[in-house]
Amino acid sequence: MSDGIWLLLGLLLLAYLGSNLVGGRAIRGFGLPSGSEYLVLGFALGPHVLDVLGRSLAHTFEPVVLVGTGWLALVVGVGYTRVADRWINPGRAAVGVLLGALSCLAVAAAVYLVAPQLGGFQGFSRLAIALGMGACASATTRHSVRWVVERHGARGPLADFAADAARASALVAPLTLAVLFALAPGGALPSVPVLGRIAITLGFGAGLGLIAALLLGRDFRRDESWGVLLGTGLLTVGAADRAGLSLLGAMIAMGLTLAASRHRLEIKAMLTPTEKPVLLPVTLLAGAYVNLKLPTSVFLLVGTAVLVKVATRLLLGLALSVGPARGTGADFGLSMLASGGFTIAAALAFSTRVPGVASDAVLLFAVVSTILGEWLAPAALRRSLERAGELHAVDPAEMGRPSDAPAELVGRESHG
Amino acid sequence: MSGHGSAQKGLATRAVQALALAVSFGVLFALSHFTADVESRLGAMTAIGFLVLAGTLLSELLEPLGLPHLSGYLLAGIIGGPHVLHLVPHEVVKQLTPVNTLALALIALAGGVELRVETLRSVAKSLAYASLIQTVLVLIGMGGMFLLLARYIPFAQNLELRPLLGVALLWGALCVTRSPSACMGILSQTRAKGPLATFSLGFIMLSDVVVVMMIATAIMLARPLITPGASISIDDFNVLGHEILGSVSMGTTLGLMLAMYLRLVGGQLILVLLALGFGVTAALKYVHVDPLLTFLATGFVVQNLSNQGPKLLHAVEQMGSVVFVLFFATAGAELDVPLLKQLWPIALALCAGRSFFTYIAANLSSRLAGDHPVVRKWGWSSLVSQAGLALGLGVVVKNSFPSVGDGFGSLVIAAVAINEMVGPVLFKMALDRTGETDTGAPVARPSLPPPPEPAH
Repeated sequence: MSDGIWLLLGLLLLAYLGSNLVGGRAIRGFGLPSGSEYLVLGFALGPHVLDVLGRSLAHTFEPVVLVGTGWLALVVGVGYTRVADRWINPGRAAVGVLLGALSCLAVAAAVYLVAPQLGGFQGFSRLAIALGMGACASATTRHSVRWVVERHGARGPLADFAADAARASALVAPLTLAVLFALAPGGALPSVPVLGRIAITLGFGAGLGLIAALLLGRDFRRDESWGVLLGTGLLTVGAADRAGLSLLGAMIAMGLTLAASRHRLEIKAMLTPTEKPVLLPVTLLAGAYVNLKLPTSVFLLVGTAVLVKVATRLLLGLALSVGPARGTGADFGLSMLASGGFTIAAALAFSTRVPGVASDAVLLFAVVSTILGEWLAPAALRRSLERAGELHAVDPAEMGRPSDAPAELVGRESHG
Repeated sequence: MSGHGSAQKGLATRAVQALALAVSFGVLFALSHFTADVESRLGAMTAIGFLVLAGTLLSELLEPLGLPHLSGYLLAGIIGGPHVLHLVPHEVVKQLTPVNTLALALIALAGGVELRVETLRSVAKSLAYASLIQTVLVLIGMGGMFLLLARYIPFAQNLELRPLLGVALLWGALCVTRSPSACMGILSQTRAKGPLATFSLGFIMLSDVVVVMMIATAIMLARPLITPGASISIDDFNVLGHEILGSVSMGTTLGLMLAMYLRLVGGQLILVLLALGFGVTAALKYVHVDPLLTFLATGFVVQNLSNQGPKLLHAVEQMGSVVFVLFFATAGAELDVPLLKQLWPIALALCAGRSFFTYIAANLSSRLAGDHPVVRKWGWSSLVSQAGLALGLGVVVKNSFPSVGDGFGSLVIAAVAINEMVGPVLFKMALDRTGETDTGAPVARPSLPPPPEPAH
């Protein structure tokens, strides 16, 4: 049997484990919210440590990884407007997007300034690495918030604010990458202006999302719906990649369009359980892709980006502590440092258009951010919620079901 | 594969489907023309998306014409494939081969689950007569027809009588193969229940074993006729015996393990099926055991030695709803249209002959077995389809006899292409006519029950 088959079986096993982590009880029981342990496992199996998962073998699965990143964006897009049983609050969502955008801008600006000195990046690669790291600095993983909230039975305005802001912040990375890919030289649409390419990226995803929504039609049936969703999803990912456009941008646009359709709840109930089974193999392979054979100056560049991200979040936390996160000090800002699979996905998507050292640096930044976020953010959020008096507010009897999908749809087999 | 019995769809729905189909073709057309020089890492993934979407939509659009969904999937593959619009290039079609592995595993599993002991017992007499008469009559009839038409067959025109007899024997043996995938595909779509569905499924699944043994025998007998100096070797039977026994024992073990898993855990069946389809298939091939037969035995054990059959069947049908579309669409893309254009008159004549002998054999065996009138009238309809099994065995023959292999292989491909397109249409028409097609609301289908007693 070939190595590829063994790796495939390993990834399937991981997906199996991941699918068991979807449930509410499981998420409180074991596993880290960011999935850092799978990053570390991937790194340990990768070429730098055990070399079980060699570079060429890991790259055999590159198409699967890319489709996985696109699929994650679709899941995020479909679930964007709802948190569990309720709609996302527009005001809190706007703050979330703003938090993400400010973090992105701050990190991108800092990296842009120092990139020529640290790593010798010039021209487009300088802009690319700045925007790439900015994109990876923007998102707060909603899994971290959910993990803390469910683990400690939290409920209240701050818990809701954290959940909405985290969910909303996911929009910034795909949009940033859509802009970056449109700015990149080459590609299949050289005669189209940058704005046109951005519009095509988002419009293409939204268009196929609309078609999928129309095809799902009046009589929503799960078996047929998988064909439609998979077909349109893969077509979107493949076409965007072939045209040199951002597959993350196109897929989130598709997801947002589906989120506006009449069957959004059923689609969300279908797609949400697929997130972890896709996320964990992608995270493991990302761990194996990490390249530490980089010039020292690049490590300094990554370190600078991490420091700027932490500082920005601290400042934003302080600013929010006089508003919606009243009385939490800088802790709320630290809690928003949590990043996870979606940040890793953004870094992997970045590498499809900007390969080489820049791509390695962005992935390293995403990995370091994720591990650092894992270390700092959940504890900071717990402290914030404690100060707000929102911990242990949920009746233990309510704590058994997964919170990320409407209760009435979880496990339902068909809808007609 | 989407189920039958969906509500009648209005003009607006059909318009949306047609629009979506045009968009999917348009997107791929634009990509292949405007980005022809761009190397795509995701060519196979894009092709999967296109084939699944276009196959699903075309099958829906052809539904009002009474055509089976399977024809829609095939047509999507043919039109988008390398020989017509060239939207899915040849090398990408080759990359999709692993899907066939998965689909065949699912088809065999589902086939095994459908075979309940009491069902088999109820149709045992029919199956015994049908197996014997179909095998003998089609083998002799088609071998004879091949001899008669040899002067019109390019690669057989100049053969002497001895090798010609050998090739005719091989052709006759290949004509006995049926298509488990097409049968399962149609039954899955129509959710048919009744004597015809039960007979067809039982016969086709069991004929898999008969055909594998018969092809081995035919190769063994044909070798001294075709290859000068070669002699009959019973080593082929030795290998075959190991393969069949190994498959049954592996299948039984897997079946017991799967039943235990379904009972104790029962979750994440899609991932378990993926692991079976890819991982276990690779392991079985590594130890020279036939995956199709193994999974057939696995499904049979789960159905008959545990009460987990319906759960497994439901999971296979759920996953099959996407995998089967891709499997048949890929088969369509693989169809060698130029070759078919070249060989169609002789291939068509041979296919007509095969259908004729199949019809005669079905009639005769039904009368002798005292089958239900429905089976007596329509039993032949499910036996016309040929697909992957025939092509696979054609490759075995081609590799065994290099002197006639290329021509033989081409004729197999052309004939299978015709049977692949015509057979499913006939079977669905028969199920519709006999009223076995389920026209109710889509629900999880239980495995096929024993047929009712014939009304005399």
